[in-house]
Amino acid sequence: MIRRKILITGATTGIGLALANRLSLRHDVMVTGSRAPEDITEPFSANLTYIRASQADPEKAAQTIAEALLKSGWTRLDNVVLNAGIGFVTQKALDDVDKIRSTQDVNVTSTILIARAVYPWLSKTKGTLTIVGSVAHKGQALFPAYAASKAALNGLARSLRSEWAGSAVVQILHPGPTYTDMHEKAGYDPGWMREIFIRKEPMAKMMEYAIARKHSPVTLSWLRYLAGGSITGKRL
Amino acid sequence: MRALVTGGSAGLGKAFCDVLLQNGYEVTNVDRNPAPNDSNLVHIACDLSDRKTVDKLIEKIGKGEPFDIVIFNAGISATGKFEEIEPASHARVVEINATAPMAICAAMMQAEKVAKNGHIAFISSLSHFAGYPGASSYAASKDALAVYAKSIRKAFKKSHGITVTTAYPGPLKTDHAERHAPEGADAEKRMTPEDAANLIMSDIRKGSVSALPGTAAKIVALIGRIAPKPLTLVMRAIIYRKLDKTVAD
Repeated sequence: MIRRKILITGATTGIGLALANRLSLRHDVMVTGSRAPEDITEPFSANLTYIRASQADPEKAAQTIAEALLKSGWTRLDNVVLNAGIGFVTQKALDDVDKIRSTQDVNVTSTILIARAVYPWLSKTKGTLTIVGSVAHKGQALFPAYAASKAALNGLARSLRSEWAGSAVVQILHPGPTYTDMHEKAGYDPGWMREIFIRKEPMAKMMEYAIARKHSPVTLSWLRYLAGGSITGKRL
Repeated sequence: MRALVTGGSAGLGKAFCDVLLQNGYEVTNVDRNPAPNDSNLVHIACDLSDRKTVDKLIEKIGKGEPFDIVIFNAGISATGKFEEIEPASHARVVEINATAPMAICAAMMQAEKVAKNGHIAFISSLSHFAGYPGASSYAASKDALAVYAKSIRKAFKKSHGITVTTAYPGPLKTDHAERHAPEGADAEKRMTPEDAANLIMSDIRKGSVSALPGTAAKIVALIGRIAPKPLTLVMRAIIYRKLDKTVAD
């Protein structure tokens, strides 16, 4: 099996980190995040290379990642997973202006600019660009700006998959609610519901299998989980 | 009766202003440039890509009377190969087409500057149904707008009786469409902005969920619902393959 070169954004916590830890057992994985290294609290594989690149500033994040790739001597990327995302819960569907802007910057503009920046590395291998969406991309009154940002990613993936056909694969994965600290950060308490959320490790497995299959769009929710989606599948 | 239109100085936005004026509305046009012969309009100069000026716009609207109709129409595009379009152009597309209208809409609702039982409209694009290889960030921004509208619709209706309409026009006979269309595209088949504005306006006043101006748009939307992937393939063949340059704004 070839040792892949993989970049994952937003991987200092949650499903991004679970996926990175998992893939780092067999591949070379570079991860990005906004946190200082000492603020990473979840188990972080020693095999991972960490690049601090906050997506609050999209142009700078894309530039930092491109520079890190150049410096690392990596001449190709087999997989890029654009996973970083934030969201905020609202009352009566009224988002704050600042939160709309930061959600758009982190989730949409940064994803566009990083996708653009990694293209030279990715197209060398006809690799796969995986964008992490959300089941909320069809609309959600609890967090309208977040749903809108994920709809943007869905639309981006649809058009870009067509544009890059032949030079790179573009796919979007829409995970369902997952047991991470995202809900707490978003100001939302799912209560008892949280207990039935899919755990991040099986979610990371489902993501790996979906990445290996290259289909798009793919919904990673309970239906797939119960159908054995976290047990059976092709490893990357 | 008061109406607010963003991007009302040209194209579809100007047509909206004209229709509203004909119907006796007092119309405020938010645009970088004043409209030609705009003596009947209240013009607020605002570059929607600049967050500080958008903040000032929000402040100004907050001090005035509520609007009965608000149309988020302003939009730009960036066409060409995704990887060849400048980062700043992609960022501007997202900011002007999606971030600014969502921010202004939410701020107006918080300040109660949309009248009770009023109407809000977002001008998305037919690309929401078809995909748009050759303008991937534009397609992304228009999908954001459509889903934002969908997300707020029930809550706004419930709390203020306000309706939210999403319009999905295809390419119109405007300078904007002309600049972004591939070489040799037939502009004669396109609908005029006046016709599109009339059709969309009637849906806005009825409080319809969506406005698909014209038969062609309705057919494309239908095909997009039944067979989204083949439709994007067609878009690749008729648009993306013919693009030989990048065009921004």
